[in-house]
Amino acid sequence: MTRKTSLAFAAAGLAALAVAGCSPTATPTATATDPSGSPNAETVELTFWHGYTEADGDVLNKIVADFNASQDAIQITTEVNPWAVIDDTFLPALAAGTGPSIVAMPAERLPVYANRGAFVALDDWYASPDSNAASLNPGAVQMVTVGGKKYGVPTGFVPLAMYYNKALFAAAGITAPPTTWDEWVSVAKKLTIDDNGDGTPEQYGVVLPDHATVANGLWPSLFYGNGGDIVADGTTAVIDSPANADTLRFWQDAIASDHISPTGVDGIGADGVFSSGKAAMTIGGPWMVFIAADNKIDYGIAPIPAGPVTQAASAIGVSMAITDQGDPVKVAAAKKFFSFFFNETNTVAWSLGSGWPPLRTDIAADAVAENPTVVALTAQASLGRPLLPGVVNSVDVLAAVDELTQRAMAGEDIAKLLQEAQSSIQAALDAK
Amino acid sequence: MTITAPRRRPYRAPAPLGGRARAPHRRRPGLKASVFLFPAIVILGAFVVWPMISALRLSFTDASGFGAVHWVGLENYVRVLSDPKIRESVVNTVIYTATFTPTAVLAALVLALLVNNPRMPFASFFRTALFVPFMVSLAVGAFAWSYLIDPQVGLLNYWLGAVGIHLGNVLEDPTLALPAVAMVAVWKSFGFYFVIFLAGLQDIPRSLYEAATVDGANWWNRFRFITVPMLSNTFAFVLVFAVIAALQAFDQIYVMTGGGPYGHTQTIVMEIYESGFRRLELGFASALSYVLLIATLLLSLIQFAFFSRRERDLS
Repeated sequence: MTRKTSLAFAAAGLAALAVAGCSPTATPTATATDPSGSPNAETVELTFWHGYTEADGDVLNKIVADFNASQDAIQITTEVNPWAVIDDTFLPALAAGTGPSIVAMPAERLPVYANRGAFVALDDWYASPDSNAASLNPGAVQMVTVGGKKYGVPTGFVPLAMYYNKALFAAAGITAPPTTWDEWVSVAKKLTIDDNGDGTPEQYGVVLPDHATVANGLWPSLFYGNGGDIVADGTTAVIDSPANADTLRFWQDAIASDHISPTGVDGIGADGVFSSGKAAMTIGGPWMVFIAADNKIDYGIAPIPAGPVTQAASAIGVSMAITDQGDPVKVAAAKKFFSFFFNETNTVAWSLGSGWPPLRTDIAADAVAENPTVVALTAQASLGRPLLPGVVNSVDVLAAVDELTQRAMAGEDIAKLLQEAQSSIQAALDAK
Repeated sequence: MTITAPRRRPYRAPAPLGGRARAPHRRRPGLKASVFLFPAIVILGAFVVWPMISALRLSFTDASGFGAVHWVGLENYVRVLSDPKIRESVVNTVIYTATFTPTAVLAALVLALLVNNPRMPFASFFRTALFVPFMVSLAVGAFAWSYLIDPQVGLLNYWLGAVGIHLGNVLEDPTLALPAVAMVAVWKSFGFYFVIFLAGLQDIPRSLYEAATVDGANWWNRFRFITVPMLSNTFAFVLVFAVIAALQAFDQIYVMTGGGPYGHTQTIVMEIYESGFRRLELGFASALSYVLLIATLLLSLIQFAFFSRRERDLS
């Protein structure tokens, strides 16, 4: 073989490799087969991305498997993409045209995708009597509503709750969790211990993160409690209000003067402070049950104490939606799965498995009685309020709230901070 | 009968060192080279050139990565130049660069001078040890540093507390957070610059130092008049690399602060990420990327021009 021939073969080989490298690869999926063993030509294949990685993931996979087994026309393959990175994988997949048919994501992220046309509107499915959607929690449905249209379905909706350390409560002679803000601060003072008197307590009464709070919901919850809010009707910033100013002053005093909580902590840090036994109370989601159990903390669950005006809690929401890939057959198939997901049996199974309250309000309390966490959280379900429903640019709105609360708790002028936050949030809402 | 003069061999000059230049190839000279370059051209074309062209096109649109795309002309570039948030991220990036670059370069130079000293014991060990942080992923290093300086559970805080030094919550402090993330990048990067400086130092002929010593030059004069000029090219290389690395700061900031506290560590690349992946404004993110690319290119050209002139002056 001459050198020239060798080079020609090498070039051809490299070109083949390059072309192969650029070709889309087939993704293995679970496919229904007919009795002869060949793929059923009429089977609709769907992919479903979600971030449920614990026991909830097992339950979800079982529901999907049950759906696949219940009929031959539709087969769904699930793929786990952790919540922290689902944005980073979903967007490139959409851009490449290889996105999933169904995707679950934190509810506050749904509007930005829906607003740009990534998801199919589901109003016709909601209107259908077979959808099992008639009794879905209205707050949860509000979180998937953008511009008056419903672009997804909820897979989780639970108000933030107070988790407290029963052993520390008992040691301080406290027998019941607080029910009002005044009680909350009073109890927290009793639980705050600074033995060496250096001004830095060894044990805090409560840990209140001042930014990046769990599901971004702590400060909205406190604003609601005093009659305040952040955004009205998804279009108008209302954060600069006397009610919110009073709320921030109340907690600034309690934290800065009475040192009932460490400062500069975020939501993840707060989980760590509570799980290490350095704080007697925290505000969190259902996963705190597992964190407390892992750290051998005897915990109790109570609603966030009532504010001067009302008792309310920002809800943590997770939604799933159908991606708009121009295939009505796949859309119809995904809607069938949603109807299956919300039948009574699966709603109960999903609630018990995930530890979150049932998404349907018509599920009787005794149906979930075997899981005490679900029972406790279900009792608080009516307190839950959706966070920034329909707000497309939630990233910038929440960043403005974070800056406001972090600087306020660091002792800066609250009136000035509220003015700045109002302006930033309105700008975010007005942005295209 | 004819008498022919004996044939004389024409004079040919001796071949220069390195061999005689070959006569021009009669066949197409680039064919073989093209075949060997083909894989690299394909890879660069697919992963560098095409994305750059694609990003340039996107920067004039309202693209979000999917769905309809509309041409918006220079709107994204106007916004880059007028958005106050972008101005803040530019300021943060400049402060970060001004903190990171001199610290990393000076640390690398000082350590290279120390290790290059023939009297330095365990030089091989230090050479390896100082390079190790560069081998660690920046994200992994950032996680480790986050835990080390954590005010509640951090070992560094615990150790320093024993001698009466309390760092506090560094990553949540608006004045300390940016220097803190810059220092993590210094820790990660200086090993690379150190090795480059060390190679540059070892390229300087010993005879220059010996001659200077005979002439009575002290340590400072030897450094000032031999080491610094002879390292001029190395300096240029290291500085350009360090500035480019600083302008692209992202990994440890994403891991350690997420841009906080309230935007004090929000660099340009963090802003690009948030615009593209969080707000789904790929067109705007592309425009911002191009502005950063042009700024980086200009800075690099200025640095090269400065060092080239300096080199000419010295010669």
